[in-house]
Order: sequence, then C-alpha cells, then structure tokens
Amino acid sequence: MTRTRRWGAFYQAEATLRSMRAYGGVILFASTFQPIMYILAMGLGLGVLVGAETDFSEYGADTYLMYIAPAILASTVAMTAGIEFTFPVMEGFKWRRKYYGAQASALTPQQIALGHILGVSCRFGVHALIFTAVLFAFGALSSPTAVLMMLSAILGGLAIGLPIMAYISTLRDEKGHAAIIQRFVIMPLFLFSGTFYPLTNLPQFLQIIGWISPIWHANELGRVLAFGQPTPLWLVVVHIGYLVGVVVVAWLAVRRVFIRRLGYDEWRGRIPGLKADQRRQARQDSRESAAGSHQRSEGVPPVSFRHGVGANYYSGNIRAVFMRGLSAIRNNRGIIFISGFLEPVLFLTSFGLGVSPMISGIQAEQAGMAGQDTISYAAFIAPALLAVSAMNGAVFDSTWNVFFKLKITKLYQTMMQTSLGPVDVAVGEICLALFRGAIYALGFLGVLMVAGLVTPLSAALMWITALFIALGFACIGMAATSFMKRFQQMDWMMMVLIPMFLFSATLFPIDVYPVGVQWVIQALPLWHGVELMRDIAFWSFSGLTLVHISYFLVMVAVGGALAAYRMKALFLR
Amino acid sequence: MPISTALSSSAPSDTAPAPAIHAVDLVKKYGDFTAVDGITFQVTRGESFGLLGPNGAGKSTTMRMIAAVASRTSGQMLVAGLDPEQQGPEVRARLGVIPQQDNLDEELTVRENIIMYGRYFGLPRRYLLAKADELLSFAQLEHKANSRVEDLSGGMKRRLTIARALVNEPEVLLLDEPTTGLDPQARHVLWDRLFRLKESGTTLVLTTHHMDEAEQLCDRLVVVDHGAIMAEGSPAGLIREHSTREVLELRFGMDRNTEQAKILEDLLTNTDAGSGDVGFSHVEVLPDRLLVYAEYAESAMEKIHAAGHKPITSLVRRSSLEDVFLRLTGRSLID
Ligand SMILES: Nc1ncnc2c1ncn2[C@@H]1O[C@H](COP(=O)(O)OP(=O)(O)OP(=O)(O)O)[C@@H](O)[C@H]1O
Ligand SMILES: [Mg+2]
Repeated sequence: MTRTRRWGAFYQAEATLRSMRAYGGVILFASTFQPIMYILAMGLGLGVLVGAETDFSEYGADTYLMYIAPAILASTVAMTAGIEFTFPVMEGFKWRRKYYGAQASALTPQQIALGHILGVSCRFGVHALIFTAVLFAFGALSSPTAVLMMLSAILGGLAIGLPIMAYISTLRDEKGHAAIIQRFVIMPLFLFSGTFYPLTNLPQFLQIIGWISPIWHANELGRVLAFGQPTPLWLVVVHIGYLVGVVVVAWLAVRRVFIRRLGYDEWRGRIPGLKADQRRQARQDSRESAAGSHQRSEGVPPVSFRHGVGANYYSGNIRAVFMRGLSAIRNNRGIIFISGFLEPVLFLTSFGLGVSPMISGIQAEQAGMAGQDTISYAAFIAPALLAVSAMNGAVFDSTWNVFFKLKITKLYQTMMQTSLGPVDVAVGEICLALFRGAIYALGFLGVLMVAGLVTPLSAALMWITALFIALGFACIGMAATSFMKRFQQMDWMMMVLIPMFLFSATLFPIDVYPVGVQWVIQALPLWHGVELMRDIAFWSFSGLTLVHISYFLVMVAVGGALAAYRMKALFLR
Repeated sequence: MPISTALSSSAPSDTAPAPAIHAVDLVKKYGDFTAVDGITFQVTRGESFGLLGPNGAGKSTTMRMIAAVASRTSGQMLVAGLDPEQQGPEVRARLGVIPQQDNLDEELTVRENIIMYGRYFGLPRRYLLAKADELLSFAQLEHKANSRVEDLSGGMKRRLTIARALVNEPEVLLLDEPTTGLDPQARHVLWDRLFRLKESGTTLVLTTHHMDEAEQLCDRLVVVDHGAIMAEGSPAGLIREHSTREVLELRFGMDRNTEQAKILEDLLTNTDAGSGDVGFSHVEVLPDRLLVYAEYAESAMEKIHAAGHKPITSLVRRSSLEDVFLRLTGRSLID
C-alpha cells in the first residue's frame, strides 16, 4: 500500500509506455527518419534557396540547416505532444476507461495524471535523443552544449501538451476535438513560431501568435543552447519563465480535473455542444408535433436494388451512403467541417510571408515555366499547397476514416447488413470525400483569388484538378486500407505522407536537388499533382502536363481496380 | 435429425417454395481455427428456429454466414433459394438482422437511424417517415426520436436495433441474442411482438442463452457446441430425449459436493430395484449444488432423507432445456 503510494505515478508511467510499445516500431522509425527528412528537405532543399541570399551568421548559425535544427526538434516534440496528450487521454477516460481501472488499484488521480505525463516525457526523451544524434551526424550541430536543447524541447512539448491534456480531460465525449485542437491550436502555434525563419520576418500582428506559442520560446531557447544565438539575458529568462509558468499552471489544472473526475465526485465530464444539441432536438420535436404524424401508406414498397452483372457487389444505391454522410456532417459541429480549409491557408500565410523576405523570388525557369520573370514565393507555393491539401484530405478520408468506421463504429457492418453492396459503400464514401474536398478547395481558391495569386479561369480549372487529384489518392488509399489489419499500421501512412509532402517540390523548386534525387521525387504521385496545379496556375502547358494527367489516370484505374478486387476483403471480414 | 439431402434435390421447384434457409456442411475457419465445423440444417418458411450453445460455439458465426456478411470456408447455403455469397444484396433485402452487438449509427439521431437504414434498402422516403413513427412506438422510443443514439441507455439501444431491423418488413428475421440487456418487461413485449411476426408468416432464426426464451419462441432448435450440432428437435422433444422428467437440486455446502455425488449415485442406483420407482438417471455436479436426475424426484428425495443425508437446501423442479444443455455440452448456460 505505501509502496503504491510512493511509486504509483511510475506504475502508471509504465502502463503508458507499455501501451506505446505496441507501436514502438513506428515511434523509433519516426524519431530516426523525421530528422533525416527535415534535414534533406528543409535544411538542404529550402536551404539552397534561402542560403544563397540570406546570411544566418548574425543569428550565430553557420548554415540555414543549423539555424532550423533546434527548432525542428522542438516542433516535432510539440507535434507529438499534440497526439500523446489527446487520444490516449480520451482513451483513458472514455474509449477504454483505462483510468478507471488504474483508479481501482489504489492509485490516486494525481498519480494517474503524473504517470501519463512521465510516460509521454520518456517518449519525448527518446525522440529528442535520437533526433539530436542524427543532427550531430549530419553536422547540423557542432557545439556540445547543443545536447541541452533536448531539455528545452521537452519543456516546450509539455508546455503545449499539458494545457491540451487539461482541456481534453474535462470532456466526456470526443466529437472531433482532437482535430479542432490540431487545426486551430497546434497548427497555428507551429506555423507562426519562427521554426523555418526568424519570427521577425512576419508582420507584427502575426508575431503575437509566436509570443504566445510555447514552440517559439522552445525554439529560441534551443537556438541559444545549440549555437549561442545572441539573445539578451532577460529574454532567455522570459523564455524559461514562460515555459515553466505554463507547465506549472497547466499541471495544476490537469490535477484538478483528474481529481474531480476520478475522485469521490466522479464528475462525468462536460459534453461539449450539449446545449446546441438540445436546442436542435427541441426544434425538431416542435416541428414534428406541428406536422402531425405521418400517414401510413398501404403496403410495403418493394426493396429496390440492381439486378444483372455484378449485382453481388453493386446494388445501385450509392446515394443512400452519400446522404448518410451528409446527415452525419449536419449533426456534427460545423466548425470541424469548416476548419478543413484552414490548413492550406495557414501554410500559405506562414511560408508566403515568412520565407519571402529571405529570397527575392523563384525564377520562372526553376518553376518549369518558359520566360525570364520571377514569381513571388507565395504564388509559387500556393498551387502546390492546394494539391497537398487535396492529397491529405483524400488519403485521410479513404484510410483512417474508413478504418475507423470499419473497426470502431462498425458503420460498414451495419451497411453490409442491408441490400447495399460493397461497391455502393466504397463509391459513396469516395464521393463524400470528394464533396468535402471540393468545398475545402473552393475556400482555399477563394483566398487565392482575393490575394490575387490566381486568375478566376485558372481557379476554376484548379478546382476540378483538385478533385481529380483527390480521386486518385482516394482510390489508392481505399486499396491500401483493404490490406490493413490493425490501427498501428495506419500510422505508417503518415510515414509515407510526410516525406511525400517534403519531397514534392512544394516549398522549393525541384532543381535544388541532384539529378538522382529528382528522379525519385518525380516518381511520386504528389510531385505530379503539384506540377499539374502549377501548370494551370501559371497557364503554361506542355507535354509534361499530359504526363501528369496520365499519371493520375493510371492511379485512378489501378487503385480503383485493386480496391474493387479487394472489396470483399475490405467489407466482409 | 440433420437433413442431409443434396442441394440439387431441394432446389426451388414450381410447386413448393424454397425453404427459408437450407444449409449443408457449413464450415468457417479463421486461420487454423475452425469456428463452425460442418453444420447442416434446414428452416422452413414461417418456422421459428433456435441455435443454442455455450460461448464460442459458433452461433454468431453461423448467423453471419446466413446474413451474407461473412464468407463461408466450405459448404452450401441457400436463403430463400438464393446463395448469400453470390446474391448478397438480394438475400439481405429479404433479411432483418439483429447482431449480437448493437451497431447503431452514433452520428445520427434515433429517428434518422431508422430512416437511413431503410434508405440503404432503397425504400422511398415517404414510406419511411410513416414506418419510422410506427417502429419508434414499437420500440417505445417516441420521446427520444430526435436524441442522439449515444444518449440512449443500453436497453433502449437494443430496442432500437430490433426496431430498425424490421424497417424492410423482412421475410426472415435473424436475431442474435435479441433480449440481452433488456429488462423483463421489455423482454416480454418483444416476445409478444415476435410471436405476432411469426403468426404473420415471418421466419425467425434466433440464438439465445435464455432457456425460457428458447422454450417460448422456438418450434425447433439445435444445440451447437464447438461448431457442430449436438442435438436437434423441439424443446419438449429434446427434454424428453436427453433428460428425465424431474430434477432434484441439492446443496450440501461447497466442498462436499463431489463426495456426496458418489454416495447418492450409489444409493439411488442400488435401491432403485427394491422400493418404489424413482426412475433415477444420473447425478450432475455443479460448483454450488448437485442435480439429481430422476423421473420422480420427490421419491428420490425421500430415499435420500431416509438414508440419513441432510442437504442444506433441496428443490424439486421439472426438467428444462437448461438440463438438456448441461447433459449435452457438460457446461452450464448461465456464465
Ligand atoms: N473474426 C474472427 N476472427 C477470429 N476468430 C473469430 C472471429 N469471430 C469469431 N471467432 C471465433 O469463432 C468462435 C465462435 O465465435 P461465435 O461468435 O460464433 O460464438 P458464439 O456461439 O456466438 O458465442 P457467444 O455465445 O459468446 O456469442 C469463437 O471461438 C471466436 O473466438
Ligand atoms: Mg454470439
């Protein structure tokens, strides 16, 4: 008993770490390859572009790579925090009620909370250690004091993670909150934290986000430690004070919530959006009582489904699946839906405004265009970001979402009990993903037109192209999902998407790389999507445009055929 | 007895309609593990057919194969004359499926759950609006019509799942432990409703762990264990065949059960010929009590008392399917 009292938090930490071990392979892989990816893509790729015109010695760094290295460590830790302090906490309270189990074994609520934090900190530690070692190996760090930046990165991760943990643990129910936090909190705090450029590159009002962001404080601290970025002492004190302050306040909040929920109170947590739900319900109730009850028509109309070729797979009722998706979207909170187009806008703002001061523009030739003009950096990345966002949305919808409905909510099990065929379900879901993508793309293109980055004609064509690209990725994603058996395998998906994004010539022209690397990039689908978008945006078509289009046609055909072939494996397990 | 006619002889002919379900040598393997190991049965139209068996016997797996949501490893199956694997949608259009675990759509309201489910069958919206009202009142969920499903209690969810499965007025209703989680009143309401469905010609196929439910609802049932059929017949017939008329339940206290069983067995077997007819069959040992199977349990009890044995409690009751089950599978149903 006293043993438990003293060591309780460590037991819980052990439990957290054990649950991570299930996907330990992914974690180690991510910690090793993330830094290599970033070094190659951002440090060397963007570095070629930036390094030619901007000198980083005034910040104390030898190269652009050295300048961003500590910040990338801090940012990746913060991103990990965004995951480890949301889903597992929700899982502990709701999905698997793990914390209630732990509570029954004489752990105090504080110990459960602290245990989780310790467990996650260990993960940060491992990640930081591997990351730092890789950076040293690539010569991105030179001073031995750089080892200390591991501490500032972990501190930054906690400063961003603990407030999120405090918030998530008040919830009884997760209705897309993790996604909202990801898009409205972590993304802006990351993109405006001066990771890839000095914060002062941004306009004043955007710098404010950086001052609030624990990531910026952790970045700057890391830079001081790694290469002695000249910083007045008071500012160093502010960085440390801010991070420690946030961690302490957030810990007190976490502790309070855990005691309330797991202590004698047994508070069940907030149901967000409860009032809105009740209001809508009351509205529907009154509408119905006004309308009176429905007349019972005589006889059952026949159940309708398609006969003929392939009737076992496709019963001709895609519409029902699509309509179900719309109903679900309508019942969910609108903010989740709207937030989808925020990500590309934030990326564009961050990189467009932040990187532009460091370079004078992209040579038209570098962007694959004829002529001698230069293109503004924002105009260069904007079409590419549209392609990236189309890819992300389609892949997410066709993999993670499909898998979730397959395994957790069992929606497809329900659908397969009816006269729907697997093809109806798959096509209905793809249509829904495209519908969502279409709205997001419309929003983003609206922003681009207002900013004067594309013409209306290009925008219209780009809109259709975005759907075309999304379709290609959705087909491949669906086919890939049919081979998935466990959730951990879904994590590998991210291992594919992130490098694809970083090596897609989105943020810099492809010619910064040696020819061999260029070939690899050109073999990947996203590069073709990005280039196709640019061709349309700058209205400069060539034979290559046809190659890009064909690439996606093949993707649709191969992915679609494979998905159709695997349809039974996917839905009838 | 299992029906082992070849499929061809029972293919739909002009005169008689095809049986509701016709299964021959069904096998389902998950990797090396055989969940269903050669099951053969036939369900005629309008019949009410039960699958009984302990946990993991393969009941749900069999149901899922009938419902065309699981593929079979081998064997043949016709549902209303159609092969579920070849004509999945057409077969499922005639079925109402109530799975063991509720799989309601948590993102929709209660009413939307019914309407959407009907839409999956391609039923017109007009019809569904009226039908949803009817089913909501059947499930006694009118007051929850516009709530989110996640706000319902477990029993309410179960009722909604059952109501939803009736939206297409199915010919065959597959019920996998339909009343699990229902309170006694709701259970009786459901039995009543199932009875009426049966009278209107719906074929029922159900699995259950409640023997009273099986006795109430099933015309015929099979006892399944380890993926194979152990016995088949009507509830009364099975009791007659596999058990005595009456049972004597005795408690001697936990640790004495096994030794007492031996003593009683000897006592009843040896004295049976002599005084009065007991019709003794055997003694079954459960963790907490002994079951003495005898045609006349009262007389058996008298004998036991006369021999000087003093059980803590004793009870005479009629044999039930529970006893058949115990006899056939060596396991108690209630776990
Ligand atoms: N998807 C699956 N993969 C592997 N094994 C499975 C799968 N589904 C069922 N099984 C196994 O098949 C066997 C039969 O399962 P089934 O669900 O049919 O049992 P049941 O008779 O319905 O039991 P219960 O009374 O507990 O519902 C079990 O041993 C189970 O572990
Ligand atoms: Mg079962």
